[in-house]
Amino acid sequence: MNAEFIQNLPTAEQAIARLRELGMPKRNNELWSFFPVAKIPTPEFMGTDFAASTTASAASPAAPAENAAASQEADFAALLPIANLARPMVREIVAGAAEMAMLKCNNDFGHTVLDIGKGAKVSLEILDNKVTHDIAAERFDINIGEDADVEIFFANPACDLPLRFRHFNIREAAGANVRFSSICRDTAIGRVSVECHLKGEGANFDYRSLHVLDGNASQHSRLTIYHEAPRTTSTQLARNLLSGNAHVSYDGSVIVGYDCTGVNSSQLVNTILMSEDASVSVKPVLKIYHDDVECTHGNTVGELDAEQMFYLVSRGIPKKAAQEMLMRSFAQETFLPLPDSPAKKRLMAEI
Amino acid sequence: MLSIKNLKASIEDGTQILKGINLEVKPGEVHAIMGPNGSGKSTLSKVIAGHPAYRVDGGSVELDGKNLLEMEINERANSGLFISTQYPTEIPGVNNVEFLKMALNSKRAFLGLPEMGDAEFKKLCEEKMDLLEMDARYRERGVNDGMSGGEKKRNEILQMAILDPKVSFLDETDSGLDIDALRIVANGINHIMSPEKAVILVTHYQRLLDYIKPTYVHVLRHGKIILSGGPELALKLEDQGYDWIEEAK
Repeated sequence: MNAEFIQNLPTAEQAIARLRELGMPKRNNELWSFFPVAKIPTPEFMGTDFAASTTASAASPAAPAENAAASQEADFAALLPIANLARPMVREIVAGAAEMAMLKCNNDFGHTVLDIGKGAKVSLEILDNKVTHDIAAERFDINIGEDADVEIFFANPACDLPLRFRHFNIREAAGANVRFSSICRDTAIGRVSVECHLKGEGANFDYRSLHVLDGNASQHSRLTIYHEAPRTTSTQLARNLLSGNAHVSYDGSVIVGYDCTGVNSSQLVNTILMSEDASVSVKPVLKIYHDDVECTHGNTVGELDAEQMFYLVSRGIPKKAAQEMLMRSFAQETFLPLPDSPAKKRLMAEI
Repeated sequence: MLSIKNLKASIEDGTQILKGINLEVKPGEVHAIMGPNGSGKSTLSKVIAGHPAYRVDGGSVELDGKNLLEMEINERANSGLFISTQYPTEIPGVNNVEFLKMALNSKRAFLGLPEMGDAEFKKLCEEKMDLLEMDARYRERGVNDGMSGGEKKRNEILQMAILDPKVSFLDETDSGLDIDALRIVANGINHIMSPEKAVILVTHYQRLLDYIKPTYVHVLRHGKIILSGGPELALKLEDQGYDWIEEAK
């Protein structure tokens, strides 16, 4: 087990202290600029005077021990499960192992810690957690050893939970390869945040998400990929099929550090709006501190292709069925480039 | 069978492309439509199919006595009309075979026939693919996805063979075909053709008509059919071009 990785995880006290310091998310905080923050209930442990707690230290509990990871964490969703006393499920997958696993938290608040050894091959499906209240939050801390090959995916059935957060903190060593893929059909408000640190040379992170939303669903993705070593690569592909009043936001940051030569990164967001009132917000951020890198970003918003619709219908296929065919093909293309694996099989079957 | 009377149509900006087309097509006939670029040949096929980029200003198009212009696009196809456009649309992600099966079963549902099952459809598909000398790769690909011009045209004729329409309007089916592919596609069309069906071919060249013998040849120019004749007309056009027609007037 990677001791440094485990020790750096914040304790509940540290998370609470940091949350009280941060205060509740506000729209003027760029991490939450697209999110309906008014829908987030104030956790009991923050009390009613949390906003003043940073200046009125007498009202605060005794300061917990310093923790760099906790003190630098700015994401409410990353701290919430720990602050809510989620008991961490800690698991080590030893070097060279090959494992297929399914994870399911048995509480509204879950914290999973995985330490994946060198050269391991892991397929990890995340199932919906057991939910009893109006808010759920899960956190995953995943440390990935050299040359390990890991797929993380979820394709949960539509969830009408009023508010759900999922936060992933991923750290990759040299030559590691991670494929992160998801399908979301939730009907309420949700946020998936991913922070991926490519710490070793040649590490790769591949992110693919598909949102198929209707009604008043409001789903938010926040990605931050840190290229912290030379020749690291990352791909982001987010596709959205939105109807009704559905809204998706995609906030994707790529940060390339000093001396990180040969980095290659791409980000592409494709959205099809099926109704007048559906909407998408996309915010790409590139912070590049080295010259020899290749980073691209793109965003398309449109309707179903009129010529493709005409072609299908002109062969006798009813309009509604033709629309469904095109929507399905748009959705499937998200995951077609994945290698044959349990994740691909599951995601394609879900579509 | 197909009766086009005084058909007029324009594009969105109001420019009229078809200025009164008249054409009678009977069962068993092959009609070749020739004409210079921009004369309205492709527009004619799209207007009959119901392409939303065109507005019908007047006239009628009847198939077996039913007004196609009053039908939805899919109803026109299911009533027996097949249009192959000059540049078949690529639809990546929609599997070619699934699309064909969906199209065929849509037609069968329209006609009140039971859905064709997987085994029967596979057999039909293989038979038609053999006819057109198509290999199994076509089955795995998206509709026209990444296909060369010639492959797309062959794929169009495969659709025609499976959907078995009464009237097929094939717009420049010979473009993009090499010599062997032209022979294969033409043989396929001849094989599908029967005394109960009709084909309208749009072409610029006699070479397709060497394989598919036309009953009539028409010249379309400035949105109207200005001359009709037998197969010899195509040979004369190949030899002399179109200007002599205007001069003779």
